Amino acid sequence: MTQRIEHLLERVEKPARYTGSEMNTDVKPIGEAEISFAFCFPDTYEVAMSHLGMKILYSILNALPYAVCERVCMPWVDMLSGMKQEQIPLFSLESRTPLNRFDIVGFTLQYEMSYTNILEMLSLGGVPVKADERTDIDPIVVAGGPCASNPEPLHAFIDAFMMGDGEEVIVEVVDALNDCKKRGLPRAERLRRLAAIEGVYVPSLYQADYNVDGTLSHFSPVDSAAPATVKKRFIKNLDAAVYPTTIPVPYTQIVHDRIMLEIMRGCTRGCRFCQAGMLYRPVRERSLTRLTELAQKLVDSTGYEEISLSSLSSGDYSKLPELCEGLMERFADKRVSISLPSLRIDSVVKESLAQTQKVKKSSLTFAPEAGTQRLRDVINKGVTQQDLMDKLKDAFEGGWSSVKLYFMMGLPTETHEDLEGIAELARAAVAAYYAVPKGQRAKGLRVTCSAAVFVPKPFTPFQWCAQDSMEIVRQKQQELRRLLDIHGVTFHWHDPSISFLEACFASGDRRMADVLYRAWQLGCKLDGWNDQFRFDLWMQAFRDCNVDAHFYANRERGAEELLPWDFIDVGVTKRYLRLEYERALKAQTTRDCRLGCNGCGIERIKGLCSLCE
Amino acid sequence: MIVVFEKSMAVRHIGHLDLMRAVQRALRRSGLPICYSNGFNPHIQLSFASPLSVGVVGLRELMDVPVEGECDPAIFAQTLSRALPPALRVIGARAVADDYPTLMALVSGSVMRIEMDATPETAKIAAAFRLFMAGEECVTLRRTKSAEKQTNIRPFIQTGEVKETDAGVVLRCVVRNRQDGSLKPSVLMRALCEMAEVETVDFIAYREQILAMAKDGRAIPLEEYENG
Ligand code: SF4
Repeated sequence: MTQRIEHLLERVEKPARYTGSEMNTDVKPIGEAEISFAFCFPDTYEVAMSHLGMKILYSILNALPYAVCERVCMPWVDMLSGMKQEQIPLFSLESRTPLNRFDIVGFTLQYEMSYTNILEMLSLGGVPVKADERTDIDPIVVAGGPCASNPEPLHAFIDAFMMGDGEEVIVEVVDALNDCKKRGLPRAERLRRLAAIEGVYVPSLYQADYNVDGTLSHFSPVDSAAPATVKKRFIKNLDAAVYPTTIPVPYTQIVHDRIMLEIMRGCTRGCRFCQAGMLYRPVRERSLTRLTELAQKLVDSTGYEEISLSSLSSGDYSKLPELCEGLMERFADKRVSISLPSLRIDSVVKESLAQTQKVKKSSLTFAPEAGTQRLRDVINKGVTQQDLMDKLKDAFEGGWSSVKLYFMMGLPTETHEDLEGIAELARAAVAAYYAVPKGQRAKGLRVTCSAAVFVPKPFTPFQWCAQDSMEIVRQKQQELRRLLDIHGVTFHWHDPSISFLEACFASGDRRMADVLYRAWQLGCKLDGWNDQFRFDLWMQAFRDCNVDAHFYANRERGAEELLPWDFIDVGVTKRYLRLEYERALKAQTTRDCRLGCNGCGIERIKGLCSLCE
Repeated sequence: MIVVFEKSMAVRHIGHLDLMRAVQRALRRSGLPICYSNGFNPHIQLSFASPLSVGVVGLRELMDVPVEGECDPAIFAQTLSRALPPALRVIGARAVADDYPTLMALVSGSVMRIEMDATPETAKIAAAFRLFMAGEECVTLRRTKSAEKQTNIRPFIQTGEVKETDAGVVLRCVVRNRQDGSLKPSVLMRALCEMAEVETVDFIAYREQILAMAKDGRAIPLEEYENG
């Protein structure tokens, strides 16, 4: 097979995607491990290798003396068709082992539009695509990641989901399956063992029933091993949590080609549209000492020239200036630079910014998300017009000429005025630039406005909301195009059909699994790539399965409705989310919980949230 | 410091710039006394003797790594070796004086090997290669930095031999660089395919050795070149 792979590689675009052998991927021989884990990222190599979670779990698993973890990515279309033609099964990057020869196949679920890739990868790897068609000799297929918070659209394909922070639960899953393997237990028994682990959901052990109107009527376990409520896992102390001190260093340029240092997890801001903000509560910081130690080890083991301080809201890290200064001083002789992603306009980042040389070259990003104060209050984006204008002024005076403004359209309660507000902000940005005297400002003003389509997500206060229909989205986009026809401003918008499908999957129930399967059969894959996305085939899949897409995307749900993900306890309670939704509709804001606990539900778990004690 | 290394099978598809970055990162990991360029975006100084075409295995590639002060070549090689992924293997290192010419300027040619499975098509390729060696001229499309044009590629091949066994066909030739550069294995193979009237064949190419011209005119391994 190796020879056939080598020859095929000569014929595909970017063969280095498939050849592995990067620095720090020299794992133990697969034959010597008691149990093998294929870490599957359902997108191409460049996307996969940019993902921090994958690197963390890869290193945790390979640190276990009895386990080996190898990486598997989604091949690009040319490689896919070549592999099918040559009958080469999907193989791992490290040892080129076919997927079906691993004991455990694990997927990370980062976004809904990668779901068809999961089916494609299983099929290409010789693993039965449907969970109920797998036998004792097939791998156990597990999944985790943010999209596992509504696992139901994938219930037919994944044997077990892991909920929440993965560092600990993944080891428990591997240990349990290793034990089962030694004892030769049948598949059904293995799954029951997994279901008993806190944070694990085994969909085949649950039953869902529906009302005539299509809503969920009943959801409960049908096996004594399965808990009625699946509790998400939390890492209480990030300092004590395992963090890789060596990570793979790809040869080819990937999306985030640098050390990503997770400085904290969670966010206290409480933006109401943001799923990550609710899911990763409470906020947990790593200490300066621990971060310094990790940074040193990572620089030593990777040789990277840049460290990016990563988190949902890095500007909120309590000791940011100290951290930046300390790291820059420490690595000055090695010429390693420090950068901050996801800048928030309401963070105290100015000083730290001035120090980070890297940022200087690129454009600055601001995310007001909505065009008017009223709508920003609805979504609890604690940013005022004044804040934004001050920061823009700072940016232009500080020598930037290019800024990006991120907005969302179709937010709950949005009106015409809110769209006009977007244009007003853009115009104000242009004015702020010209307010800096010529000669003192950098040349070449560029204000880029992006408007994403709002997708209601489970476990957010907007989980009950309907998404705007595609027709309305298109009308609004037309209107924005007209409004943003301003000198110096460019407008980017998104394909509403992709957002529509995202909404279907985000809020989908078990019946979406049929649609997914059908769409994949019809040839849908790599849907996250515009040139591969086939909306027509997706619509045919909905028709073929007799499933109404609008039921999921465009329907406002009642307060009492049993939602497909209600059986998961993510920490934040449904009661709190509802309260937040009601406040949203009244345009009432909720304070940042660093200023005082808001009682989101996390406080029920003793010793978890450091802010609510 | 001149370093001889292998760009192995597993990483033969890594492009020149990616390879450069991988080595720079290895140098940063190694803690060796390397030199940085000045400026806003400093990088580690490093130069390769000759970029290797993507897809070709390099058995004895060369690079020049400027170092601060004295450094024992054996220790340098050992330290760098530990910092590189196993797919990039250090074979040896040699300290040279400051006035040693740039490697790039010394390269005069290379030894190239092309391996194919034994099939009816590759048998035809072998025959075509014999014909090629016997002839004076073989015109095919070749791209240089500036243009893509019909070129007689025969003068690039100084000597050549072909071995046919049950295991496969192996072409081995000494390539002589000319004013406008070298000859890529893929260009030679395309020309041979045209001659043999076969569509394409699968092959794997190796650069066994980079050559330099000694003072007496002999072609010698580049790493053995003595200045003065
Ligand atoms: S428990 Fe209180 S302080 Fe902690 S995340 Fe929830 S609302 Fe914020």
